[in-house]
Amino acid sequence: MTTTTGPGSRRRRVARFRQRLTFDRISFVAVFLILPLAIFGVFELSPYIQAFYYAMTNWGGFSAEMDFVGFDNFIKLTSDAKFLRAAANSALLCAVLPTLTLVTAFAIAVVVTTGGPIIGRVTGLKGGGFYRVISFFPYTVPAIVIGLIWAQVYDPTRGLLNGFLKLIGLDQFDGFPWIGNVHTAMPASMFVILWGFVGFYTILFVAAIKGIPAETYEAARIDGAGRFRTAVSIALPQVLDSVQTSYIYLGLTVIDSFVYMRVLNAQGGPDFSTLTITQDLHMEAFTRGQFGYATSMGVVLAAITMLYAGIIFLIFRLIRGKDTDLGSAA
Amino acid sequence: MKKPTIRAIASAGAAALVMGALLSCAAPSSNSGDEPTGGGGGEVTADNPFGLAAGTSIDAVVFDGGYHTDYVDFAGEVLKAKFPDVTVKVTATSEINAEMQPRFVGGNPPDLLDNQGAQQIPLASVIESLATWDDLWEAENYEGVKISDAVYPGIRETGTYNGRFVQVPYVMTAWAFYYSQSLFDENSWTPPKTWDEALTLCESAKAKDLKLFVWGKEAASYWKYLALDSAVKQGGVEIVERIANLEPGAWDDPTLRSVLDKFKQVIDNQCFIPGGSGQQFTQAQAQWSNDKSALLYYTGSWIENEMAQATADNFQMTAWPPLVVDEATAALPFAAIDSGADEKFVLPADSANIAGGKELMRAMLSKEAASNFAKTRLAPTIVKDTVPADGFGSTALASTVKLISESGESTFSWSFGGYDTYYAFGPDELVIWNAFLDGQKTVDELIADEEALGVRAASDANVEKVKYSF
Repeated sequence: MTTTTGPGSRRRRVARFRQRLTFDRISFVAVFLILPLAIFGVFELSPYIQAFYYAMTNWGGFSAEMDFVGFDNFIKLTSDAKFLRAAANSALLCAVLPTLTLVTAFAIAVVVTTGGPIIGRVTGLKGGGFYRVISFFPYTVPAIVIGLIWAQVYDPTRGLLNGFLKLIGLDQFDGFPWIGNVHTAMPASMFVILWGFVGFYTILFVAAIKGIPAETYEAARIDGAGRFRTAVSIALPQVLDSVQTSYIYLGLTVIDSFVYMRVLNAQGGPDFSTLTITQDLHMEAFTRGQFGYATSMGVVLAAITMLYAGIIFLIFRLIRGKDTDLGSAA
Repeated sequence: MKKPTIRAIASAGAAALVMGALLSCAAPSSNSGDEPTGGGGGEVTADNPFGLAAGTSIDAVVFDGGYHTDYVDFAGEVLKAKFPDVTVKVTATSEINAEMQPRFVGGNPPDLLDNQGAQQIPLASVIESLATWDDLWEAENYEGVKISDAVYPGIRETGTYNGRFVQVPYVMTAWAFYYSQSLFDENSWTPPKTWDEALTLCESAKAKDLKLFVWGKEAASYWKYLALDSAVKQGGVEIVERIANLEPGAWDDPTLRSVLDKFKQVIDNQCFIPGGSGQQFTQAQAQWSNDKSALLYYTGSWIENEMAQATADNFQMTAWPPLVVDEATAALPFAAIDSGADEKFVLPADSANIAGGKELMRAMLSKEAASNFAKTRLAPTIVKDTVPADGFGSTALASTVKLISESGESTFSWSFGGYDTYYAFGPDELVIWNAFLDGQKTVDELIADEEALGVRAASDANVEKVKYSF
């Protein structure tokens, strides 16, 4: 956002104008301030408040009757093995997936923008545009379809993956249940999510890297920096803003992960190893008719989400605080 | 998808924390105390037993699953022949729970609801908002026969919970092994009667590079039904009655244990096609019905309809009773099967036209509508005598109906509208059984896990307990 400040005399006139309530001004405030605030209050704030209240009831969901039970639901959560498993899974997703996805996306972005010949103009790999389109392609497919496709790919006896593994002589994978084995279900599911998101972040990083002046690269090259060195020391620090935004946004998405996980393993996977909080919440509400308890899971999920965002902000602040040479640090 | 910003989440969360405390003493809005509605309004006669008023409309919501929903449309036409100025609206959905929840809370539920499928409303959640079907059972059907006499016995009992008759299950269903008669004839195999025979057949199947059984991850609990049905045949229905009544230690029964030990042997001998815990159940079923790589599949009689598009030519699908451990000492004859009615229709008490809901079910139970269902869905309804001996040319239907009649008095029925649906054990049991079938659980672990589910349900103060007797 930008703000313009005019010369002093105009500023005074503006100040005087501020005190008069003209129709223009009132309508401006009404349309641009009160209306959005009202919408925010009705559709954003009040559901949160309502949810917080429901979280402290034993509401069953199918009648208007409910008893206030205070913090009982939250206390119950602390000893609910299934919920704790789901929370641990969500934490694992948050810890692993954003890093993995962004590192992959960044690597692809660097290669297609600056991976070309080391001599001459800074260019991407030959045919970089093609790879860019290929990597973006999965992002245009809806999550539910991605899940359905991969559920078929992972099929133990009829799937492409085991078919391919058998073809290259790995017969021990005949009938191997990738999303049905307690050790592989989570990594296999994570791969699907990574596959779905990597293209979008590649495009984001490509745009950010293209914004870096070519002179910076040329100077680094003259100093003898290779491709890896320019990627880490030139590209990465200058796209850190994008990385931070991506990190938070991707984190919020993978804490949810509902669509992918539900399509791949509707019941939470072997030994609940792919169960997410959102799935557990959905099951408590809609399969077991415990809406109050499910809502308390939602409140905890909101808290975890905020905590995650806070941690990421803190980490990036620490990283940037040390590196004062970065002109673009805001 | 909603994409909230960090600031939005943070500020909303903070506001919620502050204001949640302030609002916590506010009472929720309630529509309890409303007058019961939908009491017909028309004149009550033998021909109009519920007093359906002229000019009203009937709102039915029907689960859109294997049987689809046009059979209710058909019944609607039958009804309109009698009540020309009544309109019938049938809404098809598979998201019963999510779509009906706001309507129940808002006090405008449908007049007739088919509460079925993976997304069904747990009965325990709505049982208090349901009207009973008592007067339907006393009414005469469109042919002038009292409805309770026109249907198979035991239907009312299946739909009764703690003395209230709240569910009419519409479709007669049987649990059985299904197999390809042509495949068995080709290899001169006979279906097994005992677990030991099954183990022997498993080895003959292996010699042909085939497996005995197959399972899919969403349908792993079908094999729980085999275990319990087998235990009932071996040791009596009390075994499953104790389980249904959540008695502590009910799963640790010597007869059930003997079944599970045999079952474990089948698993350890690799008689299942591997990988079922990671395979979608329809894909798994197709390996049996289309690829013929597994010999037997324990399932419900809807299987023919469900796999119609993925069944090999000349498959000759045929039904067979569940296994026993030892025929000589078994409590029930080998012909005994688990059969009852499913596809549960309920009457929400707050609906606008309860009389309409009842009348539509009365139309569905007419000979015309029931015969139409049997013929087009290849499954019998609860109305007697609608399936000819040749099963409309279907070996599966003919053999299922034969199995039901051979089972006769020894038929038991615990799994329809069963305790596991009532207490919503579904998701947890799938995890347990997928692991067991995958060879990752011992019999002791399986028993301990099932016991734990019972203990959890028994100690849940929010759910009213049901006393089952089979």
